[in-house]
Amino acid sequence: MDRRRFADWSLKAAIVAAVAAVIPGVLTLRGRSRAAATKGVEPGDRLVFALGQNAGQAITDGSFTQNEAVLAYPEGKSDNHENLVLVCKLDPAAFKPPLDIAGTAQGIVAYSSICTHLGCTVRFSEEPMDQAPFPHIHCPCHGAMFDPQRGGVVLGGPPPRPLPQLPIKLNDKGEVLVAGPFNAPIGVKA
Amino acid sequence: MSLSSWFVERLALDRFRAKYLGKPFPVHSTFFFGEIALFCFVLLVATGVYLALFYEPSAAAVAVEGGRLPAAYASTLAIDATPFGALLRRIHHWAAHLMIAAVLLHLLRVYFTAAYKRPREVNWVLGLALLGATIAASFAGYLLPYDQFSVTATAIGYGIARSVPWIGPTLADFVFAGQFPSPETVPRFFAYHVILAPLALAALVAAHLVVVLKQKHTEFIGAAARRDAAEGRWIRGIPLWPEQTALMGVLFLVIVAIAAALAAFLPVHPSAFYGPPQPVTPDVKPDWYLLWVYGALRLIPGTLSMRFLGATIGPEAIGAMLVPGILSLIIVLVPWLDRTPASLYYAESPLAGPRRLAFGLAILTLFLALSLAGFGAELGLGVPLLWAITVLAPVAVALGAGALTRRSLEHPPAGGAARP
Repeated sequence: MDRRRFADWSLKAAIVAAVAAVIPGVLTLRGRSRAAATKGVEPGDRLVFALGQNAGQAITDGSFTQNEAVLAYPEGKSDNHENLVLVCKLDPAAFKPPLDIAGTAQGIVAYSSICTHLGCTVRFSEEPMDQAPFPHIHCPCHGAMFDPQRGGVVLGGPPPRPLPQLPIKLNDKGEVLVAGPFNAPIGVKA
Repeated sequence: MSLSSWFVERLALDRFRAKYLGKPFPVHSTFFFGEIALFCFVLLVATGVYLALFYEPSAAAVAVEGGRLPAAYASTLAIDATPFGALLRRIHHWAAHLMIAAVLLHLLRVYFTAAYKRPREVNWVLGLALLGATIAASFAGYLLPYDQFSVTATAIGYGIARSVPWIGPTLADFVFAGQFPSPETVPRFFAYHVILAPLALAALVAAHLVVVLKQKHTEFIGAAARRDAAEGRWIRGIPLWPEQTALMGVLFLVIVAIAAALAAFLPVHPSAFYGPPQPVTPDVKPDWYLLWVYGALRLIPGTLSMRFLGATIGPEAIGAMLVPGILSLIIVLVPWLDRTPASLYYAESPLAGPRRLAFGLAILTLFLALSLAGFGAELGLGVPLLWAITVLAPVAVALGAGALTRRSLEHPPAGGAARP
């Protein structure tokens, strides 16, 4: 091999090596996966108040009256934002499919509180309003509306998917326990 | 030997003086918007350096009087509590608003006087890149106070990034350093806002100015310019030194005064009022320059989605990516879409090109109509009505403006010089 060819090949190899060396560095920009550090919702988890003076205390059947809702986390798992759920107490006579009625108890039904449109935290509308059916769940960001009596289906606005439902049950103390996994992926989906 | 002549001799400043200090600047009030944007950038860097001396880029909880708060939020409150801290933080915030407004007005001036035409396409694209970089820098800065409002706004940005077809979740992880809200996002956005954005903006500003220096400004052609052209003198204006420099100095001080007055009397982004991040979402609207994207997101119904090459392009991707992407692409391509002949030296009258005027006003109306849709709930306007306004208003404005301009070109008003 003459010197010119050797220099030529050295340069090419150096470029390939430089690019190869940069790739793992660029991949670190992705950020560490939090799946290992934080836990998702699991059956048997006790739901506790996410906010307010009762934060961290168990939610029971007697915590709220009909047509009220509270934000909750599975106990000890508040560091994962995707675990945030909206626990509503409704009139069980009005429940209709596609709601998973077996996943409700005493009119209590739980949904992921992460809007399926762009991930804001949804709210339960406690007062009847002129323009919207009652009861409903709405998102303050872009005007999404969901029907909590029918499995979180979209009533209006921009969300592409219903709110995922979290099946729950009550234990003998009346505390709300998770009975199974969410029935759909949480939050924004590509 | 005086001090100045000592420097002149050592650095051979005579040649520099002869070549650049006489550079003529056009005197027309609409030609100052670019400079105003630049002065806002200088003010942003100056106030930003001060804020960075105190700010703590971390979401970790720290103990403060009365409980625990994220360090970033606690340091923002601490800045607000110092005698000049709150004022400088608000000046920083207001200067960002003023900068975006100045860039937009500059863009409108360039568009409506057809200053984007050959050979100035390069600076049209560089200028739009500057607009994009300014908005991106503002968005990155939004998270830094780490209050309830900032975190909500950034969470929506994260959702938008996630909704991109095919690469959404990966893209979102790369930009936001993992799933948002994550403790890693604050240092990442601090680096974007404090290191990358100023570097990118400074580089783009430098490139933009070098191109202007090389290609010269356009200028309005009036009777005087016509006479000069006949006498063989082409470039009109005041020289960089001393007249233009004095003007720029005054203008800079005026901008500082306006930003300071706004900051003193209008409390922008009161972090203490918004409170620390909570899992609930407050009633939020984006800043005025992104209201149109917000309006589009509210208008696109959840039922509108399409499948394309295995990916679902949902309503959120249509509203926040597809619509703004298409609009941006059209605006970038303006110099190539406009096939009318170009003048090397002269700006055109906005009324000289009916099609350009109609198209520009239509796009402007579309942005305003989409922004109006952002207030649909407050104004009691339903989604169907807002859709009608969004579709019909730009068309009506385009037809009206085009027809009126054509008429004025065909029948010029007596005494007026509609056509240069």
